[in-house]
Amino acid sequence: MASRVTSRAPTATLLLGLVVTLAVVLAYSVYISRQISGLRQLQTELTDRNRRDSLQLLRIQGDLNQLALAMRDMLDPDEAYPLAAWSSQFDRIRTDLDEALTQQASVAIARRTPEQSRYLATSITQFWDASSRLFELAANGHEVEARGQVRLSLQPRQAAISTTVARFLVQNNESEAETAQQVQEIYATVQRQVRWFLVASLAAIAATSVFLIRSNQRLFHQLAALSDERRELTQQLIDTRETTLREIARELHDEFGQILTAIGSMLGRAGRHAPEGSTLRGDLREIAEVAQDALDNVRGLSQSLHPSILEELGLGSTVDWYMTTVEKQLGLTVHYERDPAFPRVDDTTAIHVYRVLQEALTNVAKHAGVQEAWVRLRCEDGTLDLQIEDHGAGLGGPRPRQGLGLVTMRERAGLVGGTLGLDPRPGGGTLVHLRVPLRTQASA
Amino acid sequence: MTRREFLRQSALGAAATFTLADLLDAQAGPGFRLVDVTKSAGLTFRHNNGAYGGTFLPETLGSGCAFIDYDADGWQDILLVNGMDWPGHRRQRSTLALYHNNRNGTFTDVTKAAGLDVELYGMGVAVGDYDNDGFPDVFITCVGQSRLFRNTGKGTFVDVTRTAGLGGRSAFSTSAMWVDIDRDGHLDLFVCNYVRWSQERDVFCSLDGRQKSYCTPEAYRGETSWLFRNRGNGTFEDITASCGIFDSGSKALGVALLDDDGDGWPDLFVANDTEPNKLYRNQRNGKFKDVGLAAGVALSEDGKARAGMGVDAADFDNSGRTSLAVTNFEGEMLGLYRADQPGHFRDVATRAGVGLPSKNRLGFGCVFADLDLDGDQDLVVVNGHIDDTVRNIPGNVGYAQPPHLFLNDRGAFRDVAAQAGGGFEQPRVGRGLAVGDFDNDGDLDLLMTTNNGAAVLFRNDRTSSNRSLRFTLRGVESNRDAIGATVRVMHGGVTQTRMVRSGSSYLSQSELPVTFGVGARDVVERVVVTWPNGRTEEFTNVASGRAYVITEGQGFSR
Repeated sequence: MASRVTSRAPTATLLLGLVVTLAVVLAYSVYISRQISGLRQLQTELTDRNRRDSLQLLRIQGDLNQLALAMRDMLDPDEAYPLAAWSSQFDRIRTDLDEALTQQASVAIARRTPEQSRYLATSITQFWDASSRLFELAANGHEVEARGQVRLSLQPRQAAISTTVARFLVQNNESEAETAQQVQEIYATVQRQVRWFLVASLAAIAATSVFLIRSNQRLFHQLAALSDERRELTQQLIDTRETTLREIARELHDEFGQILTAIGSMLGRAGRHAPEGSTLRGDLREIAEVAQDALDNVRGLSQSLHPSILEELGLGSTVDWYMTTVEKQLGLTVHYERDPAFPRVDDTTAIHVYRVLQEALTNVAKHAGVQEAWVRLRCEDGTLDLQIEDHGAGLGGPRPRQGLGLVTMRERAGLVGGTLGLDPRPGGGTLVHLRVPLRTQASA
Repeated sequence: MTRREFLRQSALGAAATFTLADLLDAQAGPGFRLVDVTKSAGLTFRHNNGAYGGTFLPETLGSGCAFIDYDADGWQDILLVNGMDWPGHRRQRSTLALYHNNRNGTFTDVTKAAGLDVELYGMGVAVGDYDNDGFPDVFITCVGQSRLFRNTGKGTFVDVTRTAGLGGRSAFSTSAMWVDIDRDGHLDLFVCNYVRWSQERDVFCSLDGRQKSYCTPEAYRGETSWLFRNRGNGTFEDITASCGIFDSGSKALGVALLDDDGDGWPDLFVANDTEPNKLYRNQRNGKFKDVGLAAGVALSEDGKARAGMGVDAADFDNSGRTSLAVTNFEGEMLGLYRADQPGHFRDVATRAGVGLPSKNRLGFGCVFADLDLDGDQDLVVVNGHIDDTVRNIPGNVGYAQPPHLFLNDRGAFRDVAAQAGGGFEQPRVGRGLAVGDFDNDGDLDLLMTTNNGAAVLFRNDRTSSNRSLRFTLRGVESNRDAIGATVRVMHGGVTQTRMVRSGSSYLSQSELPVTFGVGARDVVERVVVTWPNGRTEEFTNVASGRAYVITEGQGFSR
């Protein structure tokens, strides 16, 4: 049976599926990561760089406009200040322009040629050289000549630089449009592939789920069949044992009991024929006493193997009787309580409850390490309630070798439709709690 | 949070400087009431912007006001700047107005007697004793030729513009400020110029393509501001070009004095309209360097040049560093630049609670002043649109607009204008704003001007038991008015700082004495004065509830 289950286990298939799934996800993650990095690189290298470049170019354009306005003011005939006054204004603009150019150079887009960048830098340098000469002329009192320089040199240079910057901005716009197109294409490709991957993933998940559900169903069925077979076997074993014990008890009681009773009667008769005070008469009485002891032992053994009073007087009286023998048999002091109006239950329930009680008390004697136990037998709301409690080592103590005792107790409870609970007590010890739906003798 | 929890937490946080009584007062109201005493005080001034339908740009922007103790009697008098009718459209005579403080809550118009009944298209005013004779002089900025009036000390003023070397200059000048930029003991003069406007250069602007309307400043070229060095002999030298502030693109409306980098040398902040603001850092060699962009005050947080109008500088969070408030156009909100480290600012207007309330207002004058005397400086802003046709636009923000009175609670502001009383919250076309204690009761009163309307004087009536400390500084080696001196008052682990300032606000001049609110404290542990020349004097255990005069090197006199 076990080999059949093992051969049908889906573990290998599942593991294979897991490995394949992980491999696919991994491969796809690598692929997507590469696509995203490519996209990021494209955006960083082109789009963002382009944008930052444009921002700096706009800043440069702003500075150039300020220079243009300043030069317009410088040439205003109504202007009260000499040209030299603009020197500090030019210095301020130059500081900002230099910073903007430095930043712009660090983010200039790839498609701008070194010649273009060099041209811009050179033009601006030449502009500042010209403005320095202009302010030098102004400082030396050559105001008219300096104004001429503004018109002839500075303004055209500023216009040329402004045109160059404007051309760069146009170039950036074109570059940005191309980049946007590339980005769109990448997005479209990735979107298509994500869609395919999604479909494939859903199909794989669906197939795996169907396979798993069917495997689980098979396993559950096999487990249920095994459980049923085991329960049947256990019941047969218990039944066989009970039958055997009952037969042995009956044989002991009926056969050996009658023989020993007959031997006792015969010895009694023989003794009465022997002379009074003779040795023979004494010997015969002694043998009769031995026979009587043997008879008592046989009857006791018979009762313990299968108490016949169970069928005759019922469970309640049997447990009452059993309690009187426990101290002698097991060395336990038992505090026993029984519902006075305990009803008579069917024989099957009675024997199984009785065996559970026997097993539980035996366990107390063997494993609990105490000599005291409490037994309560009640009937409440149509349920038989048997509790065997001890204050010993409890379930947390050193575990004895796993025997059949507990298994058999559970099976017996199951056979009569009841439940068996083994609960630790708060202060130590164990409470064995058997609950069985009551079937009285009449209804049984 | 329950009231009980609020009180407990607040009391724990404020234990060092505030009493529970202060907090209960704060729960009840702002701790003071404003009373409109314009009429009872005898202020009959009315601004004339000369508007006759020509829609000239200067008509929208005037004018300013000043608290000035011109007779040096310890009582703040009032000077109001006026415009005039345009040539060819004369209807009335309008002049400056000087009101003498009668020390009983009333004023007398002494304009004529003082020699100030001159007609000019006035915009702003700066008060400073440039000749160190003990009597404050007056510089009036104008559209056209600005004027310098020297105080004779006998209750009169003399126009010395030409003899002082300030004549022959025509511009659209706005705010002005006295400041000793080279720490030589003589006050120099900074003058803001707006745009290149004259009647001849007026540009036709229109909203509908037919009817002329007021232009925005983009329609005009900028104009450099001016800096004049006081030679110490009653004359001034134009150092605009040589000192590094020359900027023909500027459109300046406001200027404030501060020591931005804490080096003891005066730096200048200039609020520009539609152009980046400037922060001119003093290089200690007669030159300035614009660090506005690097310092984070040139633009708004989103990098936009706003329409800077008025400005004030103060240590409003008692951090020891000077912060700036700048009023802007509607939709731009107030700029509140807090110094998060020396020489670097961050606009915290929204976080501090002044941003959103000011978003739909067009701000002009603004001053930091501890109106409730609780130990931190509050912020007052007057608002008003520039174009009365704004009324015709659906959903408009109004031509007349309510002012703001932002009460400062340890760096967090809330607008209590509506609770201040006296009709303070009434919408007006506000322009100038000055602060001063005209009734000498220890708290700060407010003077406001309106465009083409009346000036309004609000008396501050305290309803709390908070007390103040007032100091009037007299320089000996430093300039006589001690402009640029800082006073630090230390109590309970808190240090409050004030600077003696000319300039600030918009076209206006607040009183020169400095006022500290100290809550219910009877005594402050230390008072440290740093004079403009760098000299420091310290006083301990100074009683509150009083006004002191501190003379450089000679200590207190009451």
